[in-house]
Amino acid sequence: MGIVWAAMGVGIIPLVILRAMKEIAAKPSEENWIFWSIVIVVLMPIIAFSLITFGVFALKGEYDRLD
Amino acid sequence: MAQHVSASHGEEVSSTRRVIAASSVGTLIEWYDFYIFGSLAKIISEQFFPKDNPTAALLATLATFAAGFVVRPFGALFFGRLGDLIGRKYTFLVTLVIMGGSTFVIGLVPGYAQIGFVAPAIVFLLRLLQGLALGGEYGGAATYVAEHSPDDKRGFWTSFIQTTATFGLFISLGVILIVRQSLGVEKFTEWGWRVPFLLSIFLVVISVYIRMKMSESPLFAKLKKEGKTSANPLAESFQKKDNLKMVLLALLGATAGQGVVWYTGQFYALSFLQNACNIEFVQSNLIISIALIIGTPFFVVFGALSDKIGRKWIMMLGMLVAVVAYRPIYTVMYEGANLKKKTEVVDKTTVEHKLEVKGTDSLKTTITKKTFTDGTTYKEVKKEKFPVDPAKKAALPKDKLKPETKKETVLPQDGFVKMIGLVLIQVIFVTMVYGPIAAFLVELFPTRIRYTSMSLPYHIGNGVFGGLVPLISTRLVEATRLTPDTPPTDPLAGLWYPILIAGVSFVIGSLYISNRPTVMDVD
Repeated sequence: MGIVWAAMGVGIIPLVILRAMKEIAAKPSEENWIFWSIVIVVLMPIIAFSLITFGVFALKGEYDRLD
Repeated sequence: MAQHVSASHGEEVSSTRRVIAASSVGTLIEWYDFYIFGSLAKIISEQFFPKDNPTAALLATLATFAAGFVVRPFGALFFGRLGDLIGRKYTFLVTLVIMGGSTFVIGLVPGYAQIGFVAPAIVFLLRLLQGLALGGEYGGAATYVAEHSPDDKRGFWTSFIQTTATFGLFISLGVILIVRQSLGVEKFTEWGWRVPFLLSIFLVVISVYIRMKMSESPLFAKLKKEGKTSANPLAESFQKKDNLKMVLLALLGATAGQGVVWYTGQFYALSFLQNACNIEFVQSNLIISIALIIGTPFFVVFGALSDKIGRKWIMMLGMLVAVVAYRPIYTVMYEGANLKKKTEVVDKTTVEHKLEVKGTDSLKTTITKKTFTDGTTYKEVKKEKFPVDPAKKAALPKDKLKPETKKETVLPQDGFVKMIGLVLIQVIFVTMVYGPIAAFLVELFPTRIRYTSMSLPYHIGNGVFGGLVPLISTRLVEATRLTPDTPPTDPLAGLWYPILIAGVSFVIGSLYISNRPTVMDVD
């Protein structure tokens, strides 16, 4: 499963950035800028970093010994 | 001998109760302080952040978001480190003083009208201090109580800390309501809003006095005596693989899902009732308040149950049922207030028009009142402002002439009770995921770095993942509008965010979290 988590972490980066570019281009309002800035600066790095690192740990079997 | 054992057991229980009370009261006050800013956001915005000043408006947005989800994790790191270096007791005393002091000073700051831009700048900084203090408080209180609790009662004792966020919200709303009712709306808006902020100082003084009398956590005291405290808790928590993997597991497998379930059940439900269902202000707040009052004891029930059957499956079940049940629950809520599904008593419908002229502008108000066969009543107030001069009116763009409409639905008794039941189900989900989580988090990390390690995933999970529920959910609903003037095609679209996050957390938590009972010692 580790590969799934890491892939999700990697995949979310272009997905969010492309979506933000598309929406801001369609409607460059202040509201849009604030929303996407929060998502790109705060939420996306946390999700991407944690899923990628978690995925790598899972791949290496780090969580197999917990139970 | 038996009498001696019984007496010492009695003393132990009484001492544990004092620990819980001292920790819980302080944490409750911190939540109270944090919530009054949010509950009085409209007045604060008028006093300090005028909309016509773009910089002040930007500060208002930053104050709302930054304190909620940017500063809290930093507070967790800063105070967590301090708590692992110098001790739990003094650190969460400091967070209490910072939170109470900031709240008190907000009540003293002159408004934008008196001192201009300095006013929003000071309030913004004070709000950041509040966020920092909150980031440090929870981890300290949970760790302190957990380190006093016996292994077989940790879920039960720490669950009292879990109730404080809900009680803090209650007390903030109660104090605001009492002050508002006592002074009247006009005086309250003018200066009375400062009273709940100023009142905080008395609560904090009492709480600091109680906490000063408490001793340091026995596990930390033992660790310190043996010289085993961490020299660098931050590096040990996040640079060592063995601990970092547990921080990530706590975040992705527990706190992220718990955060969204908590925010959806406690805050999004209210927003949905008011904005999607148009339920009248007092009735919607009553629905949430009653559901919370009935639901709050379940924090303790599930905390205690987690001592018997383990933390993992209670939290996971809470997330799973939330994922599966959110859309059906919200569909029933939406349909329960859907006027298109009700039969109107046409004879009772009234339409009232008023036209006022103020200078060069006219204000046309249309009030429509409807009654339905099931007892539901509906009131719509439509206000249209336009220039008296027809030529000037014709020259204005359409969006400037767009009427401001306020819709209010009051449900009959059975509809009201049904809504309470539907919100209560969500509150039960909240208590399942939130009741055992303090015990789960403290047991995941060793004593030497516990405060630092548990605080960060908690505040990212709740502050970032949970705190973004209103923003992202509103955005998802708005995206379903075909044009800006048409209603959303899917008013439930906002639920996809908590469903997705709680779903991922459920899978990760179920696969990787251990349900093994944990014995806490100095490592």
